[in-house]
Amino acid sequence: MGEDKPDVLRPTADAAGTPMLQGTLDLMVLKTLESMGPQHGYGIARRIEQISEQALRLNQGTIYPALLRLRQRGWIRAEWGTSENGRKARYYSLTKTGKVQIEKETESWERVAATMARFLLVQGTGNRG
Amino acid sequence: MRTIGSRVVAMFRRRALDGETEEELRAHLDMAAEEHRRRGMSGDEATQKALRDFGGVTQVRERVREREGVLWVESLRRDVLYALRQMGRSPGFAAVVVLTLALGIGATTAIFTLVYSTLMRALPFPEANRIVAIHDVRTTGQSTGGLMSMARFWDVKARNRSFESMAFFYFDEGTVIAGTKAPVSLHKARTNAGFWDVMGVRPLLGRTYDARDDRPHMPETVVLSYAAWQKLFGGDPGVINQQISLDQNAVIVVGVMPQGFEVPSGVELWHCGEFEANPSEDRGEGSRFINVFARLKPGVTLGMAQADLDRIGEQLGQEHPDSDGMWRFRSQTLRENRYGSMRPALLVLTIASGLLLLIACINVANLSLSRATARRREVALRRALGASAGRMTMQFLTESLVLGSIGGGVGVAAAWALVRGVATKLPGRLGVPGTVAMRWPVAGVAALMAVGTGIAFGIAPALEARRIQLNTALKRGEARLGGGGHRLRGALVAVQAGLSLVLLVGATLMAESLWHLVKNPLGFEPEHLLTFSIKLPWGTKGAEVRNFFADVQGRLESLPGVTAVGQTDAPPATDYHLRSNFDADWLPRIASKPAINAEDRNIGGNFLAAMGTPLLAGRALSDEDSQLKNYPVLVNEELVREYLPGGNPLGRHLLVDGTPHEIVGVIANLRGTGGAIASAAGPEVYWPADGDGGVTQRFFVVRSQVPPETLIRSAEEQVRGLDAEKAIANVGTMDELLDKAVAQPRLNMAVVAGFAGIALVLACVGIYSVAAFFVAQRTQEIGVRMALGARREGIAVLFVKKAVLPAAAGAAAGTCVALGLAQLLKSQLYGVKANDPLVYVLSIGALMVPVVMATLRPAWTAASVNPVEALRGE
Repeated sequence: MGEDKPDVLRPTADAAGTPMLQGTLDLMVLKTLESMGPQHGYGIARRIEQISEQALRLNQGTIYPALLRLRQRGWIRAEWGTSENGRKARYYSLTKTGKVQIEKETESWERVAATMARFLLVQGTGNRG
Repeated sequence: MRTIGSRVVAMFRRRALDGETEEELRAHLDMAAEEHRRRGMSGDEATQKALRDFGGVTQVRERVREREGVLWVESLRRDVLYALRQMGRSPGFAAVVVLTLALGIGATTAIFTLVYSTLMRALPFPEANRIVAIHDVRTTGQSTGGLMSMARFWDVKARNRSFESMAFFYFDEGTVIAGTKAPVSLHKARTNAGFWDVMGVRPLLGRTYDARDDRPHMPETVVLSYAAWQKLFGGDPGVINQQISLDQNAVIVVGVMPQGFEVPSGVELWHCGEFEANPSEDRGEGSRFINVFARLKPGVTLGMAQADLDRIGEQLGQEHPDSDGMWRFRSQTLRENRYGSMRPALLVLTIASGLLLLIACINVANLSLSRATARRREVALRRALGASAGRMTMQFLTESLVLGSIGGGVGVAAAWALVRGVATKLPGRLGVPGTVAMRWPVAGVAALMAVGTGIAFGIAPALEARRIQLNTALKRGEARLGGGGHRLRGALVAVQAGLSLVLLVGATLMAESLWHLVKNPLGFEPEHLLTFSIKLPWGTKGAEVRNFFADVQGRLESLPGVTAVGQTDAPPATDYHLRSNFDADWLPRIASKPAINAEDRNIGGNFLAAMGTPLLAGRALSDEDSQLKNYPVLVNEELVREYLPGGNPLGRHLLVDGTPHEIVGVIANLRGTGGAIASAAGPEVYWPADGDGGVTQRFFVVRSQVPPETLIRSAEEQVRGLDAEKAIANVGTMDELLDKAVAQPRLNMAVVAGFAGIALVLACVGIYSVAAFFVAQRTQEIGVRMALGARREGIAVLFVKKAVLPAAAGAAAGTCVALGLAQLLKSQLYGVKANDPLVYVLSIGALMVPVVMATLRPAWTAASVNPVEALRGE
């Protein structure tokens, strides 16, 4: 429920000590599912670790509240299936709204990032002068 | 909130964690451990590494479970906490909102308490909906307040098919002597035994009198009210079967009624009638003196009972055309009988309080809109960071609901305290203890109102928050509203102004009506007038009556400070009815169709001088007049106007059963002869009180140069000195009587005027805030305009116009609404028309002047903008 907490920034459990921006994990999960197709929780957690090249070390468990949250919003769905090792696991996949949401989230995220970049640039110039 | 939240959480905790999640987490750990083992770790090492990477399993489990179970409770709790933090951040805003809502909800709750207590709550009698009042009503002309004659009561009792039991009662004064105590005058109701069957309320102590007691020549029995029992016997339960003296007769106290049983209102003692049907009973005009109630048989409706009564009325009209031909019976429910007359006033008050609540809501909506605008950046940021539009809407609604609940709580608490404080001081029947009190259904409706208002004023800013687009809000870097917001604010101002105008018109109409009620000529001078009554036992001989009252008259006249003393059977503004029919020597005589129907009063002493009533023609009555067999009479102006327009009544005669009575004088109309000072005076005849047998119960009216209250003691001593067993009753001043008579209209006026005043203040606050908002939003535009050569006056006028134009449009619409609603007030207005143009002009002035003033400060701010600074701000 962290994302419902109205505070703008919420430190998320991550070993590197970098505070994680709210909403980031959601987008990572969505993107992972977009690129990998249906995947179980462990797989998603591992993939995020790999992509972020260990810079962002998640407690793998935090993925589950996020998955439930995305499911409750109707962006992903869950089905039981069998893993490559023949183990029973719950597989997550994107819904139609989830796919639309990725575009929205990406766009807004890029805007924030760009704004921040410009902002930092301006600040930097000021310092030098 | 936290405790409720955690209780719900605890409830969910008892449920086992969703099995699927449990399985999923186990699978995750197994898969991780397996992978570590494949890379060469030992079994234990692999498991531990998997657990370490996972983080706290319990915490994850907990968070998933919370999300599943109590998502809404938790988010509600967070929203509420957030709302409270927001309130803490802007305490001024919160205080204004809470106060405004408290006023609106408090006012509505207080009025609804009145409505519920009188028109909705079950009356405190067993199966009260089966109790009906039966009135005797003339088919044309004025009736005697619904009173019935004994003869017609017996006829209805014998012939009806609808009633299980029938009750009558009439008011009387009773002088009670208990043991060796001083005589006390009590308000007594003489009733039949059926009275107790109809009311169905059990006594607190002893019994009520029954059919065995209610027969001629049985030992006389009485029942005491709770108040009288406390007053006379200090609540001693040994009072049952004790003998007391009532009007110099020995009577037995058989019972005491519980507290709050006060039927008819103000009664202190019920006295068994011991009347018996008598075929030769008087059915004439002067014979109507009893109030009649009945209990419907099970399954009989009011409509069926009315049809039954119509049938009996027809029969009696045919059997006794002379006396009963013009009369019919009208039945109504007990509720209608007790509170029906208040319905129009309550309706007006309900509408007024509803309007006030609406105005309060609009004001708060306006304030919240401005605040929502100020919070656009916060909203935009939170949206950017993943909060959905739905969540933001919920957040804003929660804030409104929290404010609404606090405002509602304060309002209901205030209304409760108010009702508790003033309930028994309310005028008339409303003031009977136990009548008006805030009960649970009222509190429930108030709670719903608080929630409703929370949603009502929260919906606009919530929708605003939904509309906010991330890019625009962030790009502009500043909160700005488009034309839509301006239009919405303008519309709110207009509605507010219109509603305030409706209240102002209502208050002005009622104030003017009250002014006329109090200040129009009454036909007498109410100042410095003491009134009290003395009653001699029924059947006292004529000479004895005359002598006693003459002695009292003499003793009172000799008191220092007393300038005139008069006698009457009932002073104005008392609920007393006595009507007769007679012929006149100037009008054609038709058998069984008397020419004149008029209210009768019996007067003695120096009545006209004591009352200050002008004698318009002829002379007053003298003591000698009453000794004549054909004693002369006085008539009022209205009788002459109606029955001898333009003629001279002096020397003409009224004929009673053929006996002529000369009209020797014409007096001014006295308002309030029938009790209500608001009703127009009808024809009245004034007879000498000492004529015939002499009237045994009389009011003295004592005019003095000293304050009338100071005379009470000495007047009482004089009467006691004359007869140690007499007590004076109904002691009061004429001013007090009038005060009581206008108490209800005055209360209504005060309440509506209070509402109108609050509404006006709220409207001004609303318009001020909107004007200030417009100015703040357009500072840069003002700078540009000024740079382009706009003059400061022009700018100021622009902003005044911007706020005042919607208000003016609202006032115009409000005038139309007020014209419509004023029709509801019609029945309660005296001396003023509901569409009196002056009232409307005054009300519009009272609204627009403060409204324009409220916009001056913001407009001045606009005019003082420094164009250079304003443009640099860009």
